[in-house]
Amino acid sequence: MTEQRIGTDEWVEQHEARLATQSELRELVYGFGEQLPLWGRLGLLLLIGLFVPVLTSNPFHIRIAATIALMATLGVGLNVVVGYAGLLDLGFVAFYGIGAYAYAYLSSDFTGVHLPTLLTIPLITVLGAVVGFLLGLPSLRLVGDYLAIVTLAFGQIFVQLMTSLTRVDLSWVPFLTTDGPVNLTRGPNGIIELDSISIFGFVADTLTENYIIRLVVLILVLLFVHHLNNSRLGRAWRAMREDELAAEAMGMPTRLLKLQAFAIGAAIAALAGTLFAAEQKAVFPANFDVTLLITLYGVVVLGGLGSLPGVLLGAVIMIAVPEILRDIELASLLFYVGSVVALIGLIKPRRLVGLLLLNVAIIGLLVQVIAESIWPDSLAELPSVASVFPEFSVSIRFVTAIIDSLPEIVTSIVRNWLAIPVGNQELIGNIALAILIVLILIASRIKQTTQLLITLVPTMYLLALVWEIRLSGQESVTRLIFVGVVLIVLMIYRPHGLLGTQRIEIV
Amino acid sequence: MDNFFAQLPQQIINGLTLGAVYALIALGYSMVYGILQLLNFAHGDVFMIGAFIGFGIMSAMLSTSAPSVIIIALMIVAAMIGCGVLGVVIERFAYRPLRNAPRIAPLISALGVSFFLQNVIQLTLSARFRTYQTAQLIPGSIGVDLGTARLSGVRALVIIVAFLLMFLLQYLVRRSKLGRAMRAVATDKDAAAMMGVDVDRVIMATFFVGSALAGAAGVLNGLVFFRIWHFMGFNAGLKGFTAAVVGGIGNVPGAMFGGFFLGFAETFAVGFLSPTFKDVIAFVVLIAVLLIRPRGLLGARLVQKV
Amino acid sequence: MSAQLELKHINKNFGGLRVINDLSFVAQPGQITSLIGPNGAGKTTLLNLISGIYQPDDGDILFDGVSIVGLEPHEITQRGIARTFQTLRLFLNMSIIENVMSASFSRAQMNLIDIVFRTPRFRREEQRLRNEAEEKLGFFGSRLVGYRFDQPAYSLSYANRRRLEIARAMMTNPKILLLDEPAAGMNPNETLEVTALIGQLRDEAGYTIILIEHDMSVVGGISDHVIVLDHGEKIAEGDFEDVVTDERVVEAYLGRKSS
Repeated sequence: MTEQRIGTDEWVEQHEARLATQSELRELVYGFGEQLPLWGRLGLLLLIGLFVPVLTSNPFHIRIAATIALMATLGVGLNVVVGYAGLLDLGFVAFYGIGAYAYAYLSSDFTGVHLPTLLTIPLITVLGAVVGFLLGLPSLRLVGDYLAIVTLAFGQIFVQLMTSLTRVDLSWVPFLTTDGPVNLTRGPNGIIELDSISIFGFVADTLTENYIIRLVVLILVLLFVHHLNNSRLGRAWRAMREDELAAEAMGMPTRLLKLQAFAIGAAIAALAGTLFAAEQKAVFPANFDVTLLITLYGVVVLGGLGSLPGVLLGAVIMIAVPEILRDIELASLLFYVGSVVALIGLIKPRRLVGLLLLNVAIIGLLVQVIAESIWPDSLAELPSVASVFPEFSVSIRFVTAIIDSLPEIVTSIVRNWLAIPVGNQELIGNIALAILIVLILIASRIKQTTQLLITLVPTMYLLALVWEIRLSGQESVTRLIFVGVVLIVLMIYRPHGLLGTQRIEIV
Repeated sequence: MDNFFAQLPQQIINGLTLGAVYALIALGYSMVYGILQLLNFAHGDVFMIGAFIGFGIMSAMLSTSAPSVIIIALMIVAAMIGCGVLGVVIERFAYRPLRNAPRIAPLISALGVSFFLQNVIQLTLSARFRTYQTAQLIPGSIGVDLGTARLSGVRALVIIVAFLLMFLLQYLVRRSKLGRAMRAVATDKDAAAMMGVDVDRVIMATFFVGSALAGAAGVLNGLVFFRIWHFMGFNAGLKGFTAAVVGGIGNVPGAMFGGFFLGFAETFAVGFLSPTFKDVIAFVVLIAVLLIRPRGLLGARLVQKV
Repeated sequence: MSAQLELKHINKNFGGLRVINDLSFVAQPGQITSLIGPNGAGKTTLLNLISGIYQPDDGDILFDGVSIVGLEPHEITQRGIARTFQTLRLFLNMSIIENVMSASFSRAQMNLIDIVFRTPRFRREEQRLRNEAEEKLGFFGSRLVGYRFDQPAYSLSYANRRRLEIARAMMTNPKILLLDEPAAGMNPNETLEVTALIGQLRDEAGYTIILIEHDMSVVGGISDHVIVLDHGEKIAEGDFEDVVTDERVVEAYLGRKSS
């Protein structure tokens, strides 16, 4: 029995130890960050950002960077509402959509209005704030989960209205003469041929120009939110998130503070919406669906709620990784390297990883031999490493060369460890996926190393099989599954995200 | 006005059918919320999977010469068991580890589960619409003519099955030992645990029952409205939740009431106003109810303890 | 001498249960008014009524002669009534200095433009508030100062959390401090210290104090005026010595004497 000391709280005593085990990554980022003043950090970000188009002219890469900048801006806005003020707003994407549609109305032939960008952007940002404020008003009566569901409903109503307001009778509006129903949104066909952003005669036509505009806006928004957070407003928001009643009792007008958070978040979202619409030169209702909402929550949660560097990191991971999946060769490399890295992180002592991989390969060979003997000619040749990554990099060709020079038995293991069926890929893949999910669930409950290793052998084999015959071919679905899995796993193992601080909640 | 009265009986039948489906979904939402204070965003997707299980059984058995009654019973039972197990697995792996985590964590985990289920179904079964072959199971000729309205066989079936399930649930919650344990856990988890209630088992049972009801709702929904696809769970979940909230969440009779309330509201809006805004109606109802009575129409007012 | 706080015929029901019954009393400026009574007597409810968290069913509450019934809690705090909580409601994940500074929200002289552009006024004001917060924390000796400023509140011991809550309440610049069982959960030494501290708050900082306390040694040591509640009614009032010997009070605490 441990000795009980009076007047000390064991839990508090262990605080330092807990902090120490918390996060090397967080230490790294913040340790580095603290050495630089704020303008230095933002300047560095700008520099890194500007370096992208210098480094590559591949439009695919610049598009990824531009999407990251846009999602990071949105994430910073969402972070104000959810991270600082603690309001679970699931209608956030609607404000983004309102910004985009407002831009479409103010800068296209659809309405015939073509306002200068320098006017539209402030106008739409203010509009976003006003709408956020107004929609926040009814939400004040709601607590916690109810707020989440009502805002989700708001978001859905927005998409529904944009889809269905195609035949609206406006004859009741005074001073307006219309012939029959008016098409307000063009429904799913969206509003197209929008103007580009143009500032003092500079017209942002290309992707790269739009990317740079997004980058600058992101940095301004970061600066803005950072300043808000380090002021009485930020303190009050965080106090409110901790304990709303106590905040109110300490003289903080919590209703007003919530509305301010809603309005500021909505303004940032609307601003991001204009940038999105101007680059895409069109807006469609489907741009603002739940997929975007969940990805956005992934961005904010992955980095850590309430942490601005976290939002940036979250945006890079949540956007870049799924985008890379579009490139099949790159994706395969990422998949296999990622799996091995995950195993190395999972299994202690690490040398067992090698044993595990060897076992996977042996099982693979056995499956291969058995399958060949029962159903001849049912298996496809696994493409060799070199043909999967043609001239990908010197190091891989080097590895291939080494493999080829090894004894034949090893080469054949490397070449043939995975049995890929020729026909019925879909069915076999689906069955394998079902078994795989069950195995992963089982493996997640196992504590003992030997048992874990034994379970992981078929798991890894099936994972590779499912990847090769199902996942790698359907990158759009794969990335969404990836987002879902990240959200679940993250909440279980690290609810405070990669860079957030662990929060203490006493109920 | 004549038109209104001519249509009314049919609209009532339609409202009852739709309401029965919503009520079954709402019950699962409400039970889980009552016991864990967790918004189970994945509940709508469990409903979707129930619809697919039913579809699978139907596709496999239509070619056999089994009688329709057996096929339909098998579809419903298989969907209920499958979804019940799925619900328990979700709880075990995605929610239980988070029971003491910050409030927001299980919500986000639930969003993740919802997303995962949707997309796994899309990956394995593709994004195609599938169609229930209801006409081959219950011929359109079966039915009762009631003046201007017609109660078709399938609608009658849906209403009867839904009421039967709700009756059984009410019995389970009110009369059985498990039901008493559920109510105890919903009132105070810690106290119930100290009184010898196995809280984990009760929560598992709640998830099983709630998800099984959603599975049944999935099959019934498929039988009446035919078309199913991987994304159907999202809207259904939102509406089920709306129904649960309208009736006062955590309250079993309330969820039934809310389901029928929403079913009627939607049917009447579509029938008498305009079909364009069918889906908007539910959300408007939700927002209106929550603003007028933040704890639902049948929910109790709580006094905040300071 | 005019009353700082005056309650007139306050009633409060919770779903048919009468918690406060026709209660009236007066708190004089610069004095410590203690509310005592058995569990469930309605003491904390009374504090919630004064601080605006609950609304009285009828009756009036006057602060410096002006009614504060119907105001929101933050408005009442801004007018000069601050409180602590029996159950401790700190902003646990914020630093100690932030806990205190956050309570100056309504006094901070800065607008959105100052905040976003970091104007000289913003810097001046932040510095002023920080100095003030450090000064309030300094009131409790060396426990909450120095390196502790930037530690999260959850790292504090129980007694220090109580002290921090008092410092936070002081930061709102109140005229009246409502203290809800400040010595609860403290050991005898800490209790003695807290008693002395409450005396200091009255004598040095000049606050009017309304104190709820179970520990009679705290109440007896410093109270200027004692009010005894039982079942929501005032059953006795006066000096500590008079009150504790009152027959009805003894009865409320110990039960009726068998005769």
